[in-house]
Amino acid sequence: MIALPSALLLRAIIGGVLAGALCSLVGVFAVRLRMSSIGFCMSHSAFAGAALGTLLALDPLLMAMSAALATAALLGPVSDKARLPANVIAGIMFPMTMALAFVFLMLLPGPVVGLAALSLLWGSVLTVSPTDVILLAVLMALATSFTVLFWKELNAVLFHPRMAEADGINSRAYMNAIIFMLGAVVALSLKLVGGLLVYALVMNSASTALQLSYDMRKVFLISPLVGVMAFLGGFGLSMWLDLPVGSSIVLVSSLIFASSVALSPKRKRGEGGGRER
Amino acid sequence: MEFAVRLEGVSTTYEGETRPAIMDINLSVERGELLTIIGPNGAGKTTLLETINGLLPSEGVVEVLGLSVREHGRSLRRRIGYVPQDFMVEPGTPFLAKDVVAMGRVGKVGPLRPLREEDWEVIWAVMEALGIAELANRPVGKLSGGQQQKVMIARALAKEPELLLLDEPFSSLDAKARATVCELLEELRGERGVTVLVVTHDLSAIPDGCERLILINGGRITADGRPEEVFASDAFLKAYGRVRTVIT
Repeated sequence: MIALPSALLLRAIIGGVLAGALCSLVGVFAVRLRMSSIGFCMSHSAFAGAALGTLLALDPLLMAMSAALATAALLGPVSDKARLPANVIAGIMFPMTMALAFVFLMLLPGPVVGLAALSLLWGSVLTVSPTDVILLAVLMALATSFTVLFWKELNAVLFHPRMAEADGINSRAYMNAIIFMLGAVVALSLKLVGGLLVYALVMNSASTALQLSYDMRKVFLISPLVGVMAFLGGFGLSMWLDLPVGSSIVLVSSLIFASSVALSPKRKRGEGGGRER
Repeated sequence: MEFAVRLEGVSTTYEGETRPAIMDINLSVERGELLTIIGPNGAGKTTLLETINGLLPSEGVVEVLGLSVREHGRSLRRRIGYVPQDFMVEPGTPFLAKDVVAMGRVGKVGPLRPLREEDWEVIWAVMEALGIAELANRPVGKLSGGQQQKVMIARALAKEPELLLLDEPFSSLDAKARATVCELLEELRGERGVTVLVVTHDLSAIPDGCERLILINGGRITADGRPEEVFASDAFLKAYGRVRTVIT
């Protein structure tokens, strides 16, 4: 067991709980709207941003967040212009941002300076600053308010974007807002769980919640709870067995997902069983 | 004369296509009218309905409820009930039937105002009228094809629309359910003057009370008139390869 100063530990836990809940909240949108590659794309553009920041002697974290947010802001309009699903654009941008990141890293004078950028791939919950916690709390408040205030419109878009459009709802605007929110959440969570692992936190909790309920209200309540559980479980496991924090969180969240599949009422015959004939 | 739908020289071409799916369509539908659109598969019936609903970009004049669809598409869609063709959702879809019906009112109510008691009264009333109130708390993906079709019809009616666009609305319904929907449509036309456009490829699914039929073939309106006139026309013979004399 690792002994940590209590202030550092408390900050890490609050930051992690917020990131876990946030990623899981936006994860419901990402999973339901099949935006999985968007999460990938954001985290890797953040990595490219951090690499560029290191190359230009700018703050890598600030550059990472700027790159992720810029990608989030561009994805929606670019997909509208190209008339292709945002998922397809994200799938094309993902390897491109990865390639850019490696080009920037190659241009660095030595291997050590690239560590700041590489650390964003793995994350470090113990280096979370008070500012990070405040930013996460603000984003949590914004994401929750957005979801609550526009619940009925978001619900219709999540059910079927084209049918929502047929009901006079501006589906495209809501989809673009969701993509931007996803980008902001990924960018802010990078420092904690890392670019490679934030994706799992976004997808796993929402996928777990979707195994457990047919009611979208409950899915939106269960998912953040699962995210928090995954963080706390993973963090505890990491402290106990001296394992990397990000990896432990992902392993715990994957285990929770596997359990939800095994216990899912949706897969039982009877009450939640097959389609009516 | 105030028309619910007025099309002049309308053509709609899908992206990447060179040939329009519908071309040079001229059509006027009076308020309160029940119009059935028939035609063989791929004739352009759904394209016509989606063009009227402003879901597809088109050329020519498309006016609905006195307003241009091009300029007022989204606000008009809040007044138009639309039932798409063959709409089925996956069994695991995380939405209850009542929530899907309630979605029909969302555009009409507008953002930042939750659905109130009076909205839910309308939602429950249409669900009861269609006999699906007892399915309200069932996951929509677990319902049968016919039940899902009723949910989608209820969603369109929950909006209290001025114009109803129904694309193959009876395809999964049994005879009893079909009669219930037809009665409901008649009631809406009689009491509230709702205009109803029904698309069907199945000639036995032409709703009772239909006094006007249009036939679409190859993207063009080839016959327009009373059902018996259309059935007796050369255009009908050309489209279906036989003459129809009895209306069922």
